[in-house]
Amino acid sequence: MTKYYDIDDIITEEETVSVIFQKAASGVGIDPSAEIDFIEAGSKVELPFWLAHELQLRQAVSVNVPPCFNQKTRLEIQADSASVDLRSRCPFFYEFGCKIAPIVADRTIGFLLFSAFKSRYKEVLTKAHTATFTAGSKFWTILTKEEINLYETAQSAMASFKKWRMGGARFQVASILRRKRKSTE
Amino acid sequence: MAGQSDSELSLFSAEELEFTAEDEIVEIVPNLKMPPLNLISGDFGPFTPQIVTKVPLWLAVALKKRGKCSICPPQWMSLEKLTQVLEAERDSQEMSEQLPFHYVEISRLLFEHARDNIPDVYMVRSLIEDIRDVRFHKVETDLEAFSGRTIAVKIKNLSAMEVNIVRPFIGRALQAFYKHDSPELIPDPERVSDNRPQVVNNAPRATSKITFQVTCHIES
Amino acid sequence: MYGRKGCQLLKELSSAEKGHLPQFNSDLFEQVFAECSQHHLELQSLIRKMQEEGLDVQTAKNADHHGALIHHLALVRNKRCLMAYVYNRADNVRSLLWKIGHVLPKEIEEKLSHSEEVYFKKHSARLKSYMSSLQVDLTVDMVPPKDPYIKIRVLDDIGEGIVLSDDKTANFARHSIHFLKRTDAEQFISRGLMEELTG
Repeated sequence: MTKYYDIDDIITEEETVSVIFQKAASGVGIDPSAEIDFIEAGSKVELPFWLAHELQLRQAVSVNVPPCFNQKTRLEIQADSASVDLRSRCPFFYEFGCKIAPIVADRTIGFLLFSAFKSRYKEVLTKAHTATFTAGSKFWTILTKEEINLYETAQSAMASFKKWRMGGARFQVASILRRKRKSTE
Repeated sequence: MAGQSDSELSLFSAEELEFTAEDEIVEIVPNLKMPPLNLISGDFGPFTPQIVTKVPLWLAVALKKRGKCSICPPQWMSLEKLTQVLEAERDSQEMSEQLPFHYVEISRLLFEHARDNIPDVYMVRSLIEDIRDVRFHKVETDLEAFSGRTIAVKIKNLSAMEVNIVRPFIGRALQAFYKHDSPELIPDPERVSDNRPQVVNNAPRATSKITFQVTCHIES
Repeated sequence: MYGRKGCQLLKELSSAEKGHLPQFNSDLFEQVFAECSQHHLELQSLIRKMQEEGLDVQTAKNADHHGALIHHLALVRNKRCLMAYVYNRADNVRSLLWKIGHVLPKEIEEKLSHSEEVYFKKHSARLKSYMSSLQVDLTVDMVPPKDPYIKIRVLDDIGEGIVLSDDKTANFARHSIHFLKRTDAEQFISRGLMEELTG
């Protein structure tokens, strides 16, 4: 419940998964490819995670493992996880994985997430604390949102320390106004 | 944690840390005569010209700015001592305990306001920078050794500024590890054994704590 | 439908630059609201259909039941999106008081919805009455103080006859340099109207 208002959580749950309806459902136009608003039992539909999760709890659907956790990705992670582009698979790779793992019948996802995170974390650690690393670099584009969060935490702590060390004006324009200020009226 | 700094990160701003460091006592040589100052934090003085007096750092800087004193650099801020500390840092993986808790903040304040009172100021400055670099690399090496079983992180003898820089990162990293290495996600038979005898999960999985054990050796 | 627009609202909020508030998207907000009503109507018609067939709504798990369930879940999801949108923006509006002060510049005011403006004004009034009952100004010294007076340069024409805390008046013409009390200057600096000079 503490995540009710959390924006990232809501966006994570919008990821689509493919499900197989165990029971029929009428009066719903959720499948854009269907002509009528009736879903037959046994049909395969793409649903957002939040809906799939709730329906699965009531045994109305069964959920398939999403493509971002398929065999190809697993092999790539095993080979060299630090260079796998996880963001293009799913921007919230870890969060989504944690949510998906209990409801699909796959017990290896948890371990996959953990080992991927562990080795990528080392890379984030070393790169985050050096100032030469910027948002435009290649490594940044393959990080998931959670990793970017971690990385930015370290960056901003380091940056504010460096700024203090240089000295200079201590009072600043409020961050919300910065860069949008027109200098002439 | 107030104002413009980011409260979500549980980060004290560097200025706030400096503010706390300004309470440290340093020695000055006043060039004026003044009766004792009775402040909330204590009584300082009386001030007699050429007699060494102990005052808090903020007072020393204020007096120095108005030309009323000169500041004696602390004992640890000498060329010989710092060279020795740098050697000790480079030789061992442990953090040296010879520098005071607030050495970063104190040294920066003195460089800014009392440069003329410090002998070999450029050498001293570059030595402190080197020491800081070496120590920070050690912290990074320690951080690499995280795993899901890490409940507490213990790094001895970190200084205030170093702790402040890594605190938010460690907090978030630990949370992430905790979430991913939970028994719900990774069922026991498939857990990788960390070359330790397989202990049944008796370790309390309440909240991950970070303890920075700081033993400072403040030279008087 | 089915929560997609609700999520879009939130994606807008999350893709804004950190700390900046995007314009309140009242169009999209109204659309999500309308979707909620639509889901509700469909839900009701499915339930009515079940009742006409003489089925017990609670226990009969036929196709209509599942359809109604999906509509109900979509409704709840839209509600969550709307609530999160308003809640996160309200958080941001509250923090404006501490970052900028009691007077909002026009460019920020344009981005708030009417009720958010009212919320800000009430919050500001509350804070003022609290501070006056304590006789402490909580909004100063956001950065730990060093010297009581600082040197500043005026960036924008603020005007003449501004009354400062020690009841003196000052004329702040553009590019003029003044030696002000730190607590007075702070609010102008955070709004970008003055800058601190060092050295």
